[in-house]
Amino acid sequence: MRLSTSAIALVVGLLINHGALASELPQRWVSAGGALSEWVVALGGEPKLVGVDTTSQHPATLKTLPSIGYQRQLSAEGILSLRPQVLAGTEEMGPPPVLAQIRSAGVQVEMFSAQPDLQALKSNLEHLGILLGKAAEARALFGDYEQALQRQKNRLVKIQATRQAPGVLLLVGNAGGKPLVAGQDTAADWMLRQAGGHNLATHTGYKPFSAESLAGLSPQVLVFADRALTGEAARAALFKENPILASTPAAKQGRVLEVDPTLLVGGLGPRLPQNLEVLSAGFYPTSSEATP
Amino acid sequence: MTTLVKPRTLFIGLTLLCGLATWLSLALGPVSLPLWDTLRAALRLMGLPIDAYGLEQAELILGQIRLPRTLLGLAVGGVLALSGVAMQGLFRNPLADPGLVGVSSGAALGAAVAIVGSAFLGGLPDVFGPYVLSLCAFAGGLGVTALVYRLGRRDGQTHVATMLLAGIALTALSGSAVGLFTYLADDATLRTLTFWNLGSLNGASYSRLWPLLLVTAGVALWLPRRAKALNALLLGESEASHLGVDVEGLKRELVFCTALGVGAAVAAAGMIGFVGLVVPHLVRLLAGPDHRVLLPASVLAGASLLLCADLVARLALAPAELPIGIVTAFIGAPFFLYLLLRGRA
Amino acid sequence: MLRVEGVQVRRDRKVVLADITLDLLPGEVLGVLGPNGAGKSTLLSTLSGELQADQGNVWLDQQALSAWSGAQRAQRLAVLPQTSTLDFAFRVEEVVGMGRLPHQTGKTCDEQIINAALQAADVGHLSGRNYLALSGGERQRVHLARVLAQLWPGEAGQTLLLDEPTSMLDPLHQHTILQAIRAFADRGAAVLVILHDLNLAARYCDRMLLLEQGRPYALGTPTQVLQPEIVKAVFGLEVLVQPHPERGHPLVIAR
Repeated sequence: MRLSTSAIALVVGLLINHGALASELPQRWVSAGGALSEWVVALGGEPKLVGVDTTSQHPATLKTLPSIGYQRQLSAEGILSLRPQVLAGTEEMGPPPVLAQIRSAGVQVEMFSAQPDLQALKSNLEHLGILLGKAAEARALFGDYEQALQRQKNRLVKIQATRQAPGVLLLVGNAGGKPLVAGQDTAADWMLRQAGGHNLATHTGYKPFSAESLAGLSPQVLVFADRALTGEAARAALFKENPILASTPAAKQGRVLEVDPTLLVGGLGPRLPQNLEVLSAGFYPTSSEATP
Repeated sequence: MTTLVKPRTLFIGLTLLCGLATWLSLALGPVSLPLWDTLRAALRLMGLPIDAYGLEQAELILGQIRLPRTLLGLAVGGVLALSGVAMQGLFRNPLADPGLVGVSSGAALGAAVAIVGSAFLGGLPDVFGPYVLSLCAFAGGLGVTALVYRLGRRDGQTHVATMLLAGIALTALSGSAVGLFTYLADDATLRTLTFWNLGSLNGASYSRLWPLLLVTAGVALWLPRRAKALNALLLGESEASHLGVDVEGLKRELVFCTALGVGAAVAAAGMIGFVGLVVPHLVRLLAGPDHRVLLPASVLAGASLLLCADLVARLALAPAELPIGIVTAFIGAPFFLYLLLRGRA
Repeated sequence: MLRVEGVQVRRDRKVVLADITLDLLPGEVLGVLGPNGAGKSTLLSTLSGELQADQGNVWLDQQALSAWSGAQRAQRLAVLPQTSTLDFAFRVEEVVGMGRLPHQTGKTCDEQIINAALQAADVGHLSGRNYLALSGGERQRVHLARVLAQLWPGEAGQTLLLDEPTSMLDPLHQHTILQAIRAFADRGAAVLVILHDLNLAARYCDRMLLLEQGRPYALGTPTQVLQPEIVKAVFGLEVLVQPHPERGHPLVIAR
């Protein structure tokens, strides 16, 4: 090859950019990672998205965009066929050789953190804000987010001064069948803590539960996240497939809560504070609700 | 029994098919390039002095993405089919599969160790990641096969039936070890493992291609030298040795070539089933069991089949991609059944 | 020429073959007979090098059998096993052509030899047919053609070992095949053939070896060996022995 790779990359980049030269900012985005895509949408970037991965399920309008497949198994040519200027994703995105090919085709590959902590979110939002030309909005969004979490924290401190954290189990399932229990070091565990629950599962990662140990843990609250069903249908399916759950204190007292499973992937998403509030309310019901 | 195709006709047909598959694999993809550009870029890649103006994108897609991927497909398809022939010859059974000597399950175990192990260690640097996986898969395949071969040997002779049983036992053992790793893995690692088990030509690069090309060329040049001996082996081991064949040496070579070929293919592209079983069988239905024809024809047919499967894999759900293992079985199985039933009628 | 001296073979400490000393002479057909389990096939395995003798020696020409290289040995010694398990759809002439594996005589010469061997085993008309579509007897004759092709045209210094080559054949083919084997020996090769039919052996063999419980009971011309008391002792069968009305060889009739 006579031209160096970078020179080719530059030229290809310009070629691909031809429709968007008027603006300095990249106009065609592909986003991989549920929470990340949500933030792009929250910052008004939805019209710029030309493709998302399979974990980007929220808001529902993202599902109408071309799907680039699972974020760990991306296809270089598939993504290039969408003629993006930016591929935004988390460190879970891969495989590495494909990312290298995409980069060499002149596409900006922007990496974000999927760590569930505020510092990571802060730098993610700053980064996104600059790329989308919405730096001020991004700062404001983060400010609100931080405050919302702080309010939640303060509320918790006040409640926990008088009341004990309830023992909770979080089950992730598919139409109720064979649910996995969220253990330590998971996004689900982080969420339970932030909402003021005590995760009874001591293993790490998501593991299938055994009926016997589940009964022994006697959770006061059950939280479920179902990938296929929602609401009453999901609840009914869960108890139909796993009758042992009916014997837990949580089920007897009707303290069975639902979370959206898309909250559990890809770091801190914009819907989190609001969901934490709902969960928290479920963990510490006001006295009138708590009376059976 | 249907009439057989003459070897000459078969080779001409398969060469054309393979050429066509190669061209389609270079010309088609999620990015639609004008045919004229593809052609010019291909000629430029061959070193012809073609004006580069306006060709940058075509040259990049062709040179950096489609060409390494096509070469990978040719090599993987060819070597898997060859290994299938070698195993069906060794076990004197047209239903034998390269997996029988434990190479696939060993590679799967090696890959599981690499994927789960590196996740456990908090991830390896990107530079090493892919190589560690390939190396572990290759070492796993070779290791388990060596053990199967060792278990099959008694009194200086290799007992193929014992080897078969040892292969089944070790496959089960590797399977349960993989299961254990699966249990230990977190969600994301699990998905990586699942996708690896379904195989893919995605992300092919020249640096990871050359070991496989080398192995494929080696096996493809070596095995045909044993074509007549393989024919004799089909008569039976003692018959072959009465015909002057060094049966022990031949068996060792067959196992070694299979372990090397499948190990390298699996290391480069993950698990791709069905090619090793179906392609030799298919060629046999067309041209008879003579290994002098079967071996080279299987290379061409295997390479063509895999490229066609890959075309479906990359186009069916574009811009996303299907794992190729799903496609090989999806195309291969019905075609195989059709040939079987046609043969019986 | 194949020669055995004082060969003994044990299987799981039990002696299955003992005291075998034998010369296979050029131009001679040697028939080996005996009841089931007498050690006929064990003898053949030992002579072909497939089974190692625990005692004694097997010589091919002036060299120990085990010292020969595969191809060199295969040019001098061909073996037809009792049954074959070929399960692949080769054409008949391809199966016979495998007999030419130890030779580098070239395609034209090989094709002539394959044709001659096909004719000799009376399977010329099956040329082009799928082996798997043949009957048991036809397959047996195809394999005979294969071992004939391996040594074709047959000359002094070559040895052919046949384990029951007529077991699946109709009466006519039993004779045509043994005539072909006879003709092969007449060109100079030494032939050892395991048979069950005493009269077939008497008709076509120069010498006969009767085995009983792994040991030679009698070795000699058919007239010497086929005595009523010997047949009674080896097979437990009461027989009359009379000369063939036309050919003069002994004819064994059960009483």
